[in-house]
Amino acid sequence: MFGRLNGRRRGWAAAVVMALAACGGDADPGAGDGSPDPEAGAALRVALLTSGPVSDAGWYAGAYEGLLLIGDSLGAEVSHQQTRTPTEFDEAFLAYGAEGYDLVFAHGFEYQDAAMRAGPRFPDMTIVVSGGGRVGDNVAPLIFTLEEASYLAGMAAGGVTRSGVVGMVGGVEIPPVQGTFRAFEAGVRAVRPDATILEAFIGNWDDVAAAKEAAVAQIGRGADVLIHNTDAASFGVFQAAREATEGGAETWVLGMNRDQNDIAPDVTLGSAVIRIPEAFLEVARRLLAGDLGGAPVYEGTSEDVVDFVANPATEARYPDGLLQRIRAAGDSIRAGTLEVPRVPFVDGETG
Amino acid sequence: MADAAVLTAFLEASVRLGVPLALAALGETLSERSGVINIGLEGSIIAGALGGALGALATGSAGVGVVAGAAAGLAVALVFALFVVLLNTDQIITGTAVTLAGLGFTAVVYQSRFGTTGTALTLPTLDPWPVPLLADLPGVGTALFAQAPTTYLAYLLAPLLWWLLFRTEWGLEIRAAGEDPDAAAAAGVRVRTLRVVTCLAAGALAGVAGAHLALAHTGTFSEGMSAGKGFIAIAVVVLGRWNPLLVLMAALFFGAASALQFALQTLGFDVGYQLFLAFPYVLTLLALAGWVGRARAPAALALPWPRDGA
Repeated sequence: MFGRLNGRRRGWAAAVVMALAACGGDADPGAGDGSPDPEAGAALRVALLTSGPVSDAGWYAGAYEGLLLIGDSLGAEVSHQQTRTPTEFDEAFLAYGAEGYDLVFAHGFEYQDAAMRAGPRFPDMTIVVSGGGRVGDNVAPLIFTLEEASYLAGMAAGGVTRSGVVGMVGGVEIPPVQGTFRAFEAGVRAVRPDATILEAFIGNWDDVAAAKEAAVAQIGRGADVLIHNTDAASFGVFQAAREATEGGAETWVLGMNRDQNDIAPDVTLGSAVIRIPEAFLEVARRLLAGDLGGAPVYEGTSEDVVDFVANPATEARYPDGLLQRIRAAGDSIRAGTLEVPRVPFVDGETG
Repeated sequence: MADAAVLTAFLEASVRLGVPLALAALGETLSERSGVINIGLEGSIIAGALGGALGALATGSAGVGVVAGAAAGLAVALVFALFVVLLNTDQIITGTAVTLAGLGFTAVVYQSRFGTTGTALTLPTLDPWPVPLLADLPGVGTALFAQAPTTYLAYLLAPLLWWLLFRTEWGLEIRAAGEDPDAAAAAGVRVRTLRVVTCLAAGALAGVAGAHLALAHTGTFSEGMSAGKGFIAIAVVVLGRWNPLLVLMAALFFGAASALQFALQTLGFDVGYQLFLAFPYVLTLLALAGWVGRARAPAALALPWPRDGA
């Protein structure tokens, strides 16, 4: 996946643009007095690493918005880099560490090993690995319990499907993705116990053509509701549903990671959303309060970071009472009375 | 679901996934035959995809988009050709640089035009043109002959390029430039001009391949959507033994291999789908090793010319 030859370094140009965007406005370099002053926040330096383009209108886009939000709200100096290969991961940590950054968001499971190597070298820098599994003194996994929203999305799929066949298109088969799919299946079965659930992985995160073919194959097997867990490749899943619907085979999609209800509003039932920007801001505030590192940070429905958002444009397609059922299930998850399947991947976690 | 329907769906997917590879690989065959290996193909493909998307959005016509895509792919190849042919830079390094620059540049243009965090573009699409009679053939009819017009371009180009390479004087000159440029030049062949022309043709075709991805296959553009297809196309050329007819078949074979993984996953086979993706590469290696047919690259491939760098 990351070792593939595709676009190993297209990040450089994007990074230049980001840097320009970040420098253009409100970054306030005038802290002046030399010593970092966490209370004023002006000296806070925050970086973001992504291994895909932030123009995916999803997982990475949300992270980039989070970075900008931290810049705006806390007056932090922000920087973004796109890195493709594990070697680049190490180099990026090294660069930010050497430049004295306070906080680095490494936005993906794939960064965890590089983060654990960089942590001890730069004790003054805190690394937060989204979906990471390993904990260090200054390395903290940021776990979005997206399973909770994924379960609710599954209920929507189970209620809306006519054929009783639903499909899941994933990027790479990593534990955080497996977790959302297991929860989705449980949600589907809670409403439609006899459902057939198809699963396909495309082996990367942004091959739109491959994601579309995976979706077309599932639609060909009778699937009429699809969910994805990819990045930019998701556009292919939306497109497949749109074309199938235009061709007379009504097909629905559920978005993931970010509110994607406006990507293809006519065929989108809703999205399992992570409010990544708000979660990032919360993490930055915890850093300022001295309350970050050494333990995983969990953000889920209880924190209002993870949520299932139905698409207002297609709400009429939900059978009577389904939305209420989904809402009730969401309340039960928040209250801790409904347990959603999870694939444990954090050190010391039992699931 | 009937087995026949599964098979038809698989064949259709094979053709859809194989055609962009075929277009890019056919152009690459031409440039490699003249002695230039263009690793920058990937850069031309992604430029073609974005050029195609912008052209189609600006005019509302997918056809114009394809032309714009070809122009964008050609522009990228022009940079490559200038460095490699006229300045005699290393072909592999230059090609890699062109690919990286193509991916980076398209990202910048896309983000400045459509927002940093992206939008799912809905592009005018190239609708399938079913070929009368042929599209009604049982089994393979719709898969092969009810596709976007760019697909037929690939079908037609393969025999055309074969004829050009092996039956015309110009083709002989191209092959001479790729086998022994010194001898060719002594015989009056304008090696550099020929190489620039074949590079540009390869770039334009890779641009069409990119436009096909955006306008015929997915109906959208996203950063990095070329997803390594330029590099796969180079492997396709090897498997097709630098013969346009075999290259077309090799491209469809690669397409079939990746279609197969989705078909198997959807049917619920719990096998390592990566194995199926690796299969064509294994064949390519075997072809290079001489175990599957005989593959021999043009003798002067990737070598700077003239050797003294004049």
